[in-house]
Amino acid sequence: MDYDLTRIDYIITGITYPDTLKVLPATTPKSQQKFVVGDKNGVLQCLGIKDEEPVVQFKTLPGKPITSVQLSCVSGVQTDKIFVATGNEVKGYTRKGKVFLTIETSVSETITSMCVVGGDLILCSGRTVTCYRDLREMNSYVCEDRVLDMAVFAAPNSTRIRLLALVANKGAVLLENGRLIAHATISSGPSRLAVPPTHHSNDTHAFYGAVDGCIGLIVYQDSMLTTICLMECRGLGAVVCMGWFFSVGGAHLAIGRHDGSIQLYLVDLENITEKPRLKFTYFCGEPVTSVTGGSIGSEDNELLASTFSGRIFALRSRRHASGSLAMANIPQEAFASRRSKLETEVARLEKQTANEREKYQRSTRSLNAGLSAPPLLDIQCELTGAKEDGWQEARITSAVPLDMLFVYCGRKLDMKTDSAAVLSICSSQGTNQDLLATVRCQAGTRRLWVRMRYKVGINMRISESVSVLIYVLPAGAPRVARLLVVRMPLLPYYSQHENQSVENELRSWAEVLVTGSFSVAEMTSWLTEVLPGELPRPSNNIVFARSHTLLKTILLCQYRRGNAVFKTDNISTLAVIRDIMSNCSVTKSIRVEITYDIPSDCCLKSFIRLQEYFEEEYKKHNSLFIKKAIRSLDLDDKAVNDEEHTLCEDYWHIWNAVDEDNTKSNFEELVGKSS
Amino acid sequence: MQVSTVQPVFKLELNHKVTPGIVTIAKFDGTHPCLTASAGYDKIIIHHPHIGVVSGRAQRSEAHGEVSELSLSQAVIALAAGPLRPDCNRDMLLIGSPSQILAYDVHDNTDLFFKDAPDGVNVITVGTFGKHSEPLAFVGGNSSVQGLSWQGTELFWNVVSGKVCAMITFDFDKDGENELLVGSDDSYIRVLKNNQYILEIAETGPIVCLSPVTEVRFSYGLANGTIGIYEEGIRLWRVKSKQNALALQWSGETLVCCWCNGRVDWRDGTTGRVLRRVQMRTGAAAMLLADYRSMGVPDIVCVSDKGEVLGYAPYQENNGFNAASKKLPSEEDRLAITELFNKKQALMIELQHYEANAASGSVSLDALERPATAMPTNTRLQVAVNASIQNRCLDLTISTNNETIVRTALVLAEGIFETGETLARHPAPSQLRSILQIPLKPPRDVPVDVHIKALVGYPDSEQFHIFELTKQLPRFSMYTTAPQNARVSKDSYVTFRITERVQRICIWINQNFLLDQELELASEETKDLQITLYCLRDQSLLHMNFGADGQVKFYTSDIRLAGDLIQSLAVYLNLTDLQVTFISYNLSIIFCNNLAMRLIKKVTPPLNMMCS
Repeated sequence: MDYDLTRIDYIITGITYPDTLKVLPATTPKSQQKFVVGDKNGVLQCLGIKDEEPVVQFKTLPGKPITSVQLSCVSGVQTDKIFVATGNEVKGYTRKGKVFLTIETSVSETITSMCVVGGDLILCSGRTVTCYRDLREMNSYVCEDRVLDMAVFAAPNSTRIRLLALVANKGAVLLENGRLIAHATISSGPSRLAVPPTHHSNDTHAFYGAVDGCIGLIVYQDSMLTTICLMECRGLGAVVCMGWFFSVGGAHLAIGRHDGSIQLYLVDLENITEKPRLKFTYFCGEPVTSVTGGSIGSEDNELLASTFSGRIFALRSRRHASGSLAMANIPQEAFASRRSKLETEVARLEKQTANEREKYQRSTRSLNAGLSAPPLLDIQCELTGAKEDGWQEARITSAVPLDMLFVYCGRKLDMKTDSAAVLSICSSQGTNQDLLATVRCQAGTRRLWVRMRYKVGINMRISESVSVLIYVLPAGAPRVARLLVVRMPLLPYYSQHENQSVENELRSWAEVLVTGSFSVAEMTSWLTEVLPGELPRPSNNIVFARSHTLLKTILLCQYRRGNAVFKTDNISTLAVIRDIMSNCSVTKSIRVEITYDIPSDCCLKSFIRLQEYFEEEYKKHNSLFIKKAIRSLDLDDKAVNDEEHTLCEDYWHIWNAVDEDNTKSNFEELVGKSS
Repeated sequence: MQVSTVQPVFKLELNHKVTPGIVTIAKFDGTHPCLTASAGYDKIIIHHPHIGVVSGRAQRSEAHGEVSELSLSQAVIALAAGPLRPDCNRDMLLIGSPSQILAYDVHDNTDLFFKDAPDGVNVITVGTFGKHSEPLAFVGGNSSVQGLSWQGTELFWNVVSGKVCAMITFDFDKDGENELLVGSDDSYIRVLKNNQYILEIAETGPIVCLSPVTEVRFSYGLANGTIGIYEEGIRLWRVKSKQNALALQWSGETLVCCWCNGRVDWRDGTTGRVLRRVQMRTGAAAMLLADYRSMGVPDIVCVSDKGEVLGYAPYQENNGFNAASKKLPSEEDRLAITELFNKKQALMIELQHYEANAASGSVSLDALERPATAMPTNTRLQVAVNASIQNRCLDLTISTNNETIVRTALVLAEGIFETGETLARHPAPSQLRSILQIPLKPPRDVPVDVHIKALVGYPDSEQFHIFELTKQLPRFSMYTTAPQNARVSKDSYVTFRITERVQRICIWINQNFLLDQELELASEETKDLQITLYCLRDQSLLHMNFGADGQVKFYTSDIRLAGDLIQSLAVYLNLTDLQVTFISYNLSIIFCNNLAMRLIKKVTPPLNMMCS
């Protein structure tokens, strides 16, 4: 690790959403910058740091949750106009905190990201990207899935703008004037964009961070949108936010991740396709929601970050943080005085809490029962689709440290958990059909995953999704446990999104047609019993394709009001869908007609394909096994060199051809042996 | 806690794989320490950076110039070293194979002795013990320990009721003589003094490592991931991890713990708080304490399973490890500020909770309007434990005092559940009541602390209130008052004589048993006491007869139970010596041989017993 940065805490806010912390541009070249942050309570505050002490410039009253904070850009330069999105509303603030703009937009869903460039305001909400010019709606584009993030570029030789948007499960799209001009699929599931700060106006490129942790580059060149993966960050958490940090060493891409880590990668802005170099890592223990650079606490640049639970802190070079050289303008006792102030404040809070606690305790002893209704704990939980090995992961993020989880399920499941927690499967109660388990967390755990999977070999004749109840017990007060209900779909393997063009592939498609008086919303809710992940939001006509992560079979879904068609080359999948459709329609008492069309060669073709797949995986599995064996022999160069190797031809070939790090065989999973 | 960037003071590669756990450091020439380890089935490697080439049977290794290899014809199970020979101060190497022990003088290339170990070899340790002036080699087998002199003569032998997993010599009772601490896989740490067990500490899992700390303290590690420190037989602290501890060492006022996955942490000696932590690149094979740099102070020497050796200097409080980078006062303030913010955040969340409560004061309890998180403030939880003869278990009953329901209950205790450390109950929606019963079946007669977490609310609540309680189950909680007509077989019993008022005996029974009704004596004048108890585990009967003349008879066919009872009573009455007679018609044949001795020793460690 090259840099030595230490943490300096500034303030605590409410829970923050991704990308809600921004650093205001400096008024004069050598002055300290101020920053704005918006939280879930709807409070927007602007702060500056003077002698290590945060000084509030302005602070708004609580309101609806703030989901996005942006600064407006005029010809590529950030200004000090602050734009804040809450729900479907956008407000503009000056650096003094004066509201100069309030618009209630016509978008139906919460605004998740926005951009303000000159007179253009671009909003992303749900699946739509809407453009406003001078507060008039110009155009909008509806993507196939949720829009996750967006960046704006100037179109060459025109006043128009180009939008690069990341669409969930699909990849990236480039829009101009409300029309799609290019698109690219990115398999790693990109979640965030970062535009290099000094890009030439003609270039359209941006870095992306993905759910699987990797970092890449999207480039638009010669009417083609191409993507390159620059860093495979295996084992690191999903990218939540990205920012830029400048120091003497150059430009750094700052990455904040869901696993609580912050990385600084040195990027060569002249040659952006070059692999970024990791320079610094910091773990803060909870998801990082924003990272950005700026000269906040001193004239030198530091990295400013916010976390899910609302901690705002800086990472400052240790030389500056504690040295006497560069900090001549800051009194030595700044930290000490701040510490003593905080100590008094905490002492006061402690007293106040003790009073309130006492009051509460008294009420528990009184005869006339009051009501204890603590607010819901801030806990987020999401369930991923199954990978090849069949595990589905529930990721739990909490604003308060956790003590333990209690997991209950009416069926037996396999379970695994984080290395930071101890899983203990309890003996089941009587019937032997259920799963009871506790997960004890290490002190200070705020995020944690639990993996679950259907037991291998158990006959899957169930006709609805399996509910898993997770009770989350926090470590401190309030002593309440929140119940989370996670539904495990019947076909968890169909988590891989595919392009609709797979329909044209040479497969033998079996088809089931469902007709009846159901709405698109109803069909979507029935499908949530079957398929993992988020389904497309109801609209007139929905078409999407998924593939089985292990068997590679395809499921095509196409439905509109009163009519649904499912096509697949896996007959078992079809049977499950049929069962669910008839079950769900019966419980909803909706009459449906179900008809099939199964070509006679459907099973045969599928089996042949499976056989080939099995053979291929088996070969891969064996090669890996042999390679491992050869490696443990510790052969010297003579045995394996190119010209006169002593290793026999077959083994030599395996030795050179198989790349252990990048080749993975699913054979164990296919034969059901995996752990 | 982040992985800190502590730099090792030395680092070297052995270029050999190392078998975890089979590593020692010895001064074969009397002055220079040499790392000695098993490098696979029967190969021993000796790292000797200070001395030249080790001659004799050892071969110079091709993979590393300063390493010599020693090949045996048998698997190496354990390694130890110590200055066994009274005529010189050189360390002798002790090599344990599945059924033999070889003592080898590496420097002179001579065998000291070669001895069969019919009971197997699990651990070897060298140290002084009791009255013996010269160091002995202790060999822990599958159910015994033996002490050997330098010539290989057996100086003592004793039984252990399980496989010996860890052993140290340690002056447990501060009398100037060392005792032997034996940790076994039946979850007991036993203290052996002069061939008698003076104390038995029940733990919650097989003991995998023991290490002396200071005069009165020692540390222990269990196979279930627990580590902790005992002070004069009382546990100071313990922490549990998912990993297994491989080795524990006391260095610079901290307990250093090396985990199997290669993590090493330095913990505060009195609280167990982690002070520093490093992660080795691969799994750990050993961690030892040795002055490998010849600096006069022992360093922590960590060995990874790939043969990497890292040395760490003792932890020093003020400046951690890096004396060079002195911490500035502002640095300390910064850390304190972060810590204060943590505190502030927690307090603010708690305050919000009370504020929200105050705000919701006017909301009615009506099911329709009730928020999904609500509960009457005066809800209380009651817990009772009673024996259920029908289900042959203890029933833990949890109930609330109003219409709220017990949604789920978790019972946390160690060593009493077949699977893991928790028992949970989560009734089906149709069976949600304000009362919940949980069956408990402690498998051993040891006192158990059960922690109960109950989630209380309404059936449709989204958030539940957590009620936490701790209940102690007495040692003999699985025995309940037998029905009036129960007849006890008088075949087997133990008998002894004590001079104690039955009133005190009565208190002992009430403290150690969980009877439906506390035992009360008929009058002050009562001189004798009889009680018949029923074991919920195996439905057997136990009859205790405390005669007016001080003669006590425990009628039971379970010899372990008899031993436990005598031990518990003796501890309660502060008896150090008791003559006990054991009569069993069924076991009379067994009495002919050695096994009886073993049985008796096993059941009543702290007492001198005589068999008849």
